[in-house]
Amino acid sequence: MTAAVADASAAPAKPAVLKYRRRITPRKIVRETLFYIAVVIVVLIALFPFFWILRTSLESNSQVAAGVGGVNGIIPSHLSGEAFVNVFTQQSFLTPLLNSIIVAFGCTVVTIIVASAAGYALARLNIRGTGAILAFILLAGFFPVLAMIGPLFLMLRYIGALNSIYPLIIIYLVYTLPISTWLLKNFFEQIPKDLEDAALTDGATRLQTLRKIVVPVAIPGVFTAAILSFILAWNDFAFAVSFLNTQDHFTAPLAITTFTESGYQTFYNLLDAAVVIVSIPIALLVLFAQRRIVTGLTAGSFR
Amino acid sequence: MATEVEQVKEGRPARAGRPPRRGDKQERADRRLGYALVTPVIVLLLAITGYPLIYNLWNAFHFDNLSYGNLPHKWVGFSNFSALFHASSGWVAALERTLIFTVVTIVFDLVVALALALMLNRNFRGRGFLRASVLVPWAVPTVVSAALWKTMFDPRAGFVDYFLGFFHAPWASISWLGASVWRSWVAIFVADSWKNIPFVAIILLAGLQVIPNEVYEAARMDGATGWQSFRRITLPMLKPVISVALIFRTLQALLVFDVIYVMTTGGPGNSTETLSFLNYQTFIVNTDFGSGGAMSVLLVIIALIVAFFYVRAFRPEQTT
Amino acid sequence: MGSTKRVSRGRSVRWRAGAIAVAASLAALTAACSSSSSSSSAVSASSTQTITFAESGLGTEGMQTAKAIKGFEAANPNIKVNIQVLSSDSTTYLSQLEHNFIAGSSTPDVFESDVTYPAKFAQAGWVLSLAQFSPNMGQYFPHEVAAGTYNGTYYAVPWFDNPEGLFYRTDLIKTPPTSPAQVVSDAEAAMKADKTLKEGIAFEADKYEGAITAFLTVDSAFGGSLNPQNIDTPGNVAALNWLHAAIYQYHIAPTAVTGWEEGQVEQEFVSGYTPFAIDYPFVESLATAAPVKGNVGYIPFPAGPGGTPGSALGGEMLAINAKTAHAAAAWKLIEYLTSPSVEIARAIATGDPPSLPGAYTSQLLSAAPYFAAVKTLNTYSAPRPVNPNYLTVSADIQTIFSSVFANSAANAASSALASGAATVKAAANATPAG
Repeated sequence: MTAAVADASAAPAKPAVLKYRRRITPRKIVRETLFYIAVVIVVLIALFPFFWILRTSLESNSQVAAGVGGVNGIIPSHLSGEAFVNVFTQQSFLTPLLNSIIVAFGCTVVTIIVASAAGYALARLNIRGTGAILAFILLAGFFPVLAMIGPLFLMLRYIGALNSIYPLIIIYLVYTLPISTWLLKNFFEQIPKDLEDAALTDGATRLQTLRKIVVPVAIPGVFTAAILSFILAWNDFAFAVSFLNTQDHFTAPLAITTFTESGYQTFYNLLDAAVVIVSIPIALLVLFAQRRIVTGLTAGSFR
Repeated sequence: MATEVEQVKEGRPARAGRPPRRGDKQERADRRLGYALVTPVIVLLLAITGYPLIYNLWNAFHFDNLSYGNLPHKWVGFSNFSALFHASSGWVAALERTLIFTVVTIVFDLVVALALALMLNRNFRGRGFLRASVLVPWAVPTVVSAALWKTMFDPRAGFVDYFLGFFHAPWASISWLGASVWRSWVAIFVADSWKNIPFVAIILLAGLQVIPNEVYEAARMDGATGWQSFRRITLPMLKPVISVALIFRTLQALLVFDVIYVMTTGGPGNSTETLSFLNYQTFIVNTDFGSGGAMSVLLVIIALIVAFFYVRAFRPEQTT
Repeated sequence: MGSTKRVSRGRSVRWRAGAIAVAASLAALTAACSSSSSSSSAVSASSTQTITFAESGLGTEGMQTAKAIKGFEAANPNIKVNIQVLSSDSTTYLSQLEHNFIAGSSTPDVFESDVTYPAKFAQAGWVLSLAQFSPNMGQYFPHEVAAGTYNGTYYAVPWFDNPEGLFYRTDLIKTPPTSPAQVVSDAEAAMKADKTLKEGIAFEADKYEGAITAFLTVDSAFGGSLNPQNIDTPGNVAALNWLHAAIYQYHIAPTAVTGWEEGQVEQEFVSGYTPFAIDYPFVESLATAAPVKGNVGYIPFPAGPGGTPGSALGGEMLAINAKTAHAAAAWKLIEYLTSPSVEIARAIATGDPPSLPGAYTSQLLSAAPYFAAVKTLNTYSAPRPVNPNYLTVSADIQTIFSSVFANSAANAASSALASGAATVKAAANATPAG
C-alpha cells in the first residue's frame, strides 16, 4: 500500500522516469511472465497440500490402502464421505471441536481486555519503565513453552484441574498477550493525539475519553488482535497434550493426533477428514481477513 | 504510515522526567491509571512464565519423580544437571541435532522468505490472492501442517512418492518417516518451513514497505542495477526487520515439538528427538520433574542467549 | 481539578478491583469446572454404587465390552458401571492411566491393563492387592498370571490372552512353512507367481511396543530370548537380523513397515496384498472378504535349527485402582468379565482369545475353529520381561529396533544390539535415587 502511494506521488513529478517506464521491451515481457509463473508456483506450494488432503479425506478405507495411482489418481474415480461420517460418529470429533472453540474464544476475550488496557497505557499514559515493561512482555512471548509444562502440570494436579479445558484459557495467554499487546500499543500510538487532547481540555476524564473516543476508533485494531489471538490459542498443542487426558476433554489439534496413532485404525482418510474440518474455518477466516492481518502485523512497526 | 507516526511523536510529552503539558495532576492521574491498566498483563504473564521458571529451578535441584511417589523429594545438588551431560541421557545429542536443524532452517527460510516478501511487495493484479494463499499455511495449527505433510510423504497415500514415481519408478515407494534418518528430517523440515516461512515473509514485507520508493528511483537514475540496489539499499534498510524475523524463527526452530510428535515421535531410533521433545518425554511420559526441571532451566538459558545475541548483534545498526 | 483527581483515583482503584475480581472469578470457574471431572461417588451400604471402568476398546471390542457390562448390571442391580474409553494407542493409554493415578484419583475403579503394566503399577502403589479376594488364579494361563504378579502378590487378573503369530494365505501357500528360510522362499515364490501382491510379509516395525512383540514372535525360532540383563545373544541377533534382512536383503517386506502398527499389517493381509503377516488373532475376525475369506492359516512362527516355534504373549488384564472406594463391587465386575461364558461370547464376537484354558470348549471351537490354533500358540507364547522398569527398558529396546530397521547396512542388527545391551541392562536394574 505504501508502495502504491509512493508510486502515485512519484509519477507526476518525474516525466523522464515515466517515459523510461513506458518502454516495453521483450526482456520485460519475459521477466513479467517469469514473475507470474513464480506466483503460480508459490500459490501451488501453499495450497496444493490442502487439495491433497481434501482428496484423501474423500476416499474410502480400501482406496487409501490401495494407494495412489490408476483409478486413484490425483482425482480419484470414486469419492465417499464415509471418513467424515466416521470422524463424527465413531471418533466423536464434535466434542474436541467445541472444546477448542470454547478455549480459543475465552482466551481471545481475556486477551482483548487485558492487551487493550496495557497497550493503551504503554502508548499514551507515560508510565515510568515503559521500555522495561514492553521488553518483559515480549520476552515472555519467547519463553520456551515446553519448559513450562512440568510445573504447570504439578500445579494443575495440586488444585485438581488436570484434564480440564478451563485452565487453558489462562495458560494460552502466554501465546496471545505478547503479540496482542505489542500490536495494540502500535495501533494506539497511531491514533491522533488531538482527538483525546480536545476531549480532555473540554473537561472529560481520561477514562471517559477512553470510552467515548478511543474505543470506537480502536475497533479495527482490536478486531485484528482478536483474530490473531483466536488463531494462536486455537493452534496450541504442547499444553493440550500435556494436561488433557481423556478424549472428551481434548482440543481439536490434540484430537487430530489421536488419528495418527490409533492402534487398529490408522487410515489417512480419517486423519485428513479431521484436518479438513479444522482447516477450512481457519482458511476462510484468513482469506476473508488477510488484509487486516497483514496490516496489523506490519503497522507502524519498525522505526 | 510513516508520516502519521511522525505526527504522533511530535505531540507526545517528553518521557524522562517531568514537563507536563496539561498540568501535573492530569499527568499523575494518567500515570496511576496507566499502572492499573498495565498490571493485569504483567501479573498474568509473570504467573504463567515466572512461576514455572522458579518451580523448575527448585525441582532441578531435587529428586522428584511421580512414578516413585512414595519417595521423598531429596536435595540432589547438581546431579540432575550433570546427568544430562552423560551420553546416556540423550540430551547433548538432542542439543546438537536441534542446533543443526535450527541453523539450516533459518538460513533456508530467510532466503526464501525474502524472495517471497519481494514478491508480495510488488503491486500486481492478484496480489491479495497471493497474500491470502500464503497466509493459510501459517494460520492452520502446526499439528495440522504436520498431519498434512505426514499424509503427503506416506508411500501409499501421499503425493510426494506419486510425483517422484514419474521420474523413476522405484521412487514411488520410498518410505520417508521412520525408515531413514535423513529422509525423516527432510519431511520434518518441509512441514516446519512450509508453515513458518509465510510469517517471516510478512515481517520482512513490513520492513520493505517502509523503504520509500524515492530511494530506489534515485539509485536507478544513478544507473544502479536491480541487484545492486537490492544489496546496497534493501538489505541494509531491512536489517532491523531481519533481526526481528530471525529471533522469532530461531526460537521457533530451536523449540520445535509439534511436528516431531506427530510425524516421528523422535524416531527412527532417537534421531529426531529435539530438546523440546525430550522435555515432553521427561515430564509427561517419564513423570520425572527433577530431570525435566534441569532440562527446562537449560532450555530457558539457551533461549535467552539466542534472544540477547540477536538484540546485541543488530542494535548498533539501528538509528534512533 | 480537585474533584477530577478524587474521581480518577476512585476510578483507578475500581479498575484494580475489577481486574482482581476477573482473576478471582476465573480461578473459581476453573476450580468449579475441574471438580466435576474427578468424581468420587459416596459409598452407601444398600443403595446403588457406580464404578468406573476404563478400557481402550473401540469398534467391535468396545461394543462387546458394553454388551458384557449390560449383562453384569442386569445380574447386579445395585451396581452401575460407567465406561470410560481411553486411547486405543497403547502408549497414550498408559499415560492416560498414569495421569489418573498421579492425580490421586479414585477413578477408574477397574481398568484394562496391558500385560506389561502391573509390575510397574504395583511398585508405584497404584493397584490394589487381590489377596483379599482369594482369587483362583490356577484357572488361567500361567504365563499371563505371572505378568500380573509382583513380589509374590497378585495384582491383576488375565482378561484375554493374545498370542501373536504368523498368518498365511492357505490358497497361495499350499503347505505351511517349517523353517524361517522356508518363509522367505515361500514369500518370494508367491510374489513372483501373483503380481497383485505388494509384498511377501507384513509386520510391525514402527517405533512402539508392537515392534518388540513382532520381534518376540520370531525370536524363539532362532533360539533367542529377551532377557534385559543381556540382550546381545546370538539368538536375538539372528532373529533381529532375519526381520532386517526381510526388508533389505530379501526385499519381501517394504521399508514402509517402519510406519506400520497392528492396524496397517492387518489391513495389508485382509486386503490381499501379502501372503504372510505377523499379527494378533483379531485379524481372523476381520478376514471377511475375498480373496482372503476362508483362506487364513495361523501358526506359530516356524522354528529354525536349534529353536522352538515362536509366538509373543500379548493380552489384557483387569486390575483395581488402589484408591478405589468400591473394592468389592470392582472385584465383582472382574469376576464376571473373566467368567468362561462371558469370555467365550467375547471371543466369538471380537477374536479376543479367552484367558482360561477351560473356555476353549467345543462350543467355542465350533463357532470359531481358528481358536484351536490360538490354543496351540498359547503354549509357545513368550512373555515380555516382568520388571517394574519394563517401560523404560521397552523404550530403550524400541529405540534400538527402530534404528536397526532404518539402517540398510548388513550388520545393523548385530552392532545395534551390541552397543545397546548395556543401556538396556542399566534401565532394567535402575533403582530410583531416594
